[in-house]
Amino acid sequence: MADETILLGAVAYDAKVVPIWEGIREHFKKQQVPMDFCLFSNYERQVESLLAGHIDIAWNTPLAHVRVKRRTQGKSLSLGMRDSDRDFKARIIVRKEAGIKTLNDLHGKTLAVGSRDSTQARILPLHFLQEQGVNLAQVKLTAFDTDVGKHGDTGTSEIDVLKALHEGRAQAGTVGDLIWVLEQAAGRIDTAKLEVLWTTPGFDHCMFDALPGAEASKLEAFKRGLFAMKWENPEHRRILELEGLKEWLPPREEGYQSLAKALDEQGGW
Amino acid sequence: MSSDSAAVAIDTGDLPFGGGMLALVRPALDLLEPGGVLAVLTRQAHAIDEFGTWCKVEHHELLESANQPGGVTRILLRKGSLGAPRGKLEDGLDLKSHNQRLEASQMLAAVPLPLTADPGTGFAPRGARVEPGGPVYPYTINDLAHAAPPDIAQLYDQAISAQWNADTDIEWGKIKPLPRPMQRALGQVFTFLAENELSALYVPSRFIARLHPHYVETAQFLATQMMDEARHIDVFLKRARIGGGGVGISHATTSASLHSLLVLEDFTEAAFLLSVLGEGTFLDLLRYIETHAPDEVTADIVRRARADETRHVHFGMSHVKHALASDPTMYTRLEAAVRKRSATLAGVGGVPYAVQDSLTILAAGGNDPASVAKGHNAFRELMEVMHDNRVKRLLTAGFSPAQAQTLSDLHTPNFM
Repeated sequence: MADETILLGAVAYDAKVVPIWEGIREHFKKQQVPMDFCLFSNYERQVESLLAGHIDIAWNTPLAHVRVKRRTQGKSLSLGMRDSDRDFKARIIVRKEAGIKTLNDLHGKTLAVGSRDSTQARILPLHFLQEQGVNLAQVKLTAFDTDVGKHGDTGTSEIDVLKALHEGRAQAGTVGDLIWVLEQAAGRIDTAKLEVLWTTPGFDHCMFDALPGAEASKLEAFKRGLFAMKWENPEHRRILELEGLKEWLPPREEGYQSLAKALDEQGGW
Repeated sequence: MSSDSAAVAIDTGDLPFGGGMLALVRPALDLLEPGGVLAVLTRQAHAIDEFGTWCKVEHHELLESANQPGGVTRILLRKGSLGAPRGKLEDGLDLKSHNQRLEASQMLAAVPLPLTADPGTGFAPRGARVEPGGPVYPYTINDLAHAAPPDIAQLYDQAISAQWNADTDIEWGKIKPLPRPMQRALGQVFTFLAENELSALYVPSRFIARLHPHYVETAQFLATQMMDEARHIDVFLKRARIGGGGVGISHATTSASLHSLLVLEDFTEAAFLLSVLGEGTFLDLLRYIETHAPDEVTADIVRRARADETRHVHFGMSHVKHALASDPTMYTRLEAAVRKRSATLAGVGGVPYAVQDSLTILAAGGNDPASVAKGHNAFRELMEVMHDNRVKRLLTAGFSPAQAQTLSDLHTPNFM
């Protein structure tokens, strides 16, 4: 008899990933959905394991998601995403004293960027800047390549960008809008020093991916369990807070087009 | 503005989103019920971008943003229901002091005790609105009938104003050495008192963490009770050791009796056994020691302790009376608790001998045989007085004469 247990892959970008998935597994058990998880140290290995059929579902970053799509000729199945994954944006933050008033003023300036595999802190902001006519060859990039393999999940490189901006080591920087707004809401941004120069168009973030040939019953059971999690339930809320969402939402694909384009331009596949 | 306002408007001037604007926006949203609309006026051009993301994270709905004359943007957002604190906004309370005093009983009158309390509100003070999703706390005393008698705040107020200082309020310097038999007897009496007061310190402490904080006045009263006991232990041991004496024997009977109090799991049963029966009986013991005290300082110590213990007995009586009136199963439960304890203590014998002998010597004022005969009579009378007063307290608490007689007879030979 085939094993009905859904095996899910997630990347251990933080110690909290263990309680998150232990909690979700416990919740799935109560929903009579057998589920287990295995943790990867990086998204590249997780994507290969999904493609090789070692796991049923992968909890993927946008970069891992579009790679899975590409490798399955667009046939991979998308199962769900966080409310917070939709309409992500990136910000170009500048030091007020740097005299940067337009995107063209970035020429000749130092731009702090996040990890090379961070969608929100590097790949897409650079893509959108180019689209706006910024010649990146004329911008001095200071890159914070921290936690490579984690695709920017840790947020460390974005915090590094903000630190470099606060300390004057860069005149401009790129961060995701979530970090930018949450750092402000927590009172950690000196608004006397920093301001937003520009906001990129929207794009989507993480996604649960499965292969086209995955067992339909497993995928249905997974979605049933996932969407049964409610913010009002204290046990669920603890997990949702850790994972950074209030509600799981159905998938959508249009939010990943800009990323595919950026990877084409940057040779990032 | 009131808590059920449908719409609230605020002007945030030119405060940046991350530079103070939220300190105006978030409290304004707190005044609204979910579904209510907040209008934010801002002179920050970028604010709408930040608001979009922030509303998404917080699950508010961004309705519109419109430019107005003078570089002002008006942003309209509808408050979401996710995470909105539960309960009604407490507003317009105006506690009045009287003669520079503001008592707990005035606060209780302004913010009355609820009939039941939800363990999911954690340590939120009574009246606070509670954001949902917090953990459920392990409180087991969550209803008014078992948590707080009606006069709890007055008892707490009285306890606060009656506190005294074991270091400076007692005239320790006036104590003179006693003849050795009296000194040993006194050392034994105060050893026994301190041992019992240790149990009276520990037993209430077990219930504070089980009591829902919406009945905080009870926890506050228990805290004063514990402070009282801490002070009594302090003065009793000092009295045992000053003037050349020392502490005496701890008896197995006392230990067994106090152990049976420490293991109690029900707050009302504990209040009944400890405060009504135990501390109630102790009032008679303390009066006996005061009457036969060898000096005024010793009499003062036990007089002060008795005043404190009277409050504890009052709390116990009030608590039990309130529980008996609210819970029809309570009579049977309390009687069963007394019987169970009595069964546990079966075979431990009478009053521990060293306690009996030292109380006899104390009343005799020494160890010459003629005086000891008087002391012996005084001790026997004490037993009768204790029984009679226990019955009276049980009747006052609401027991029938037959029940009161039975329960008093079953009371521990250890007094507490």
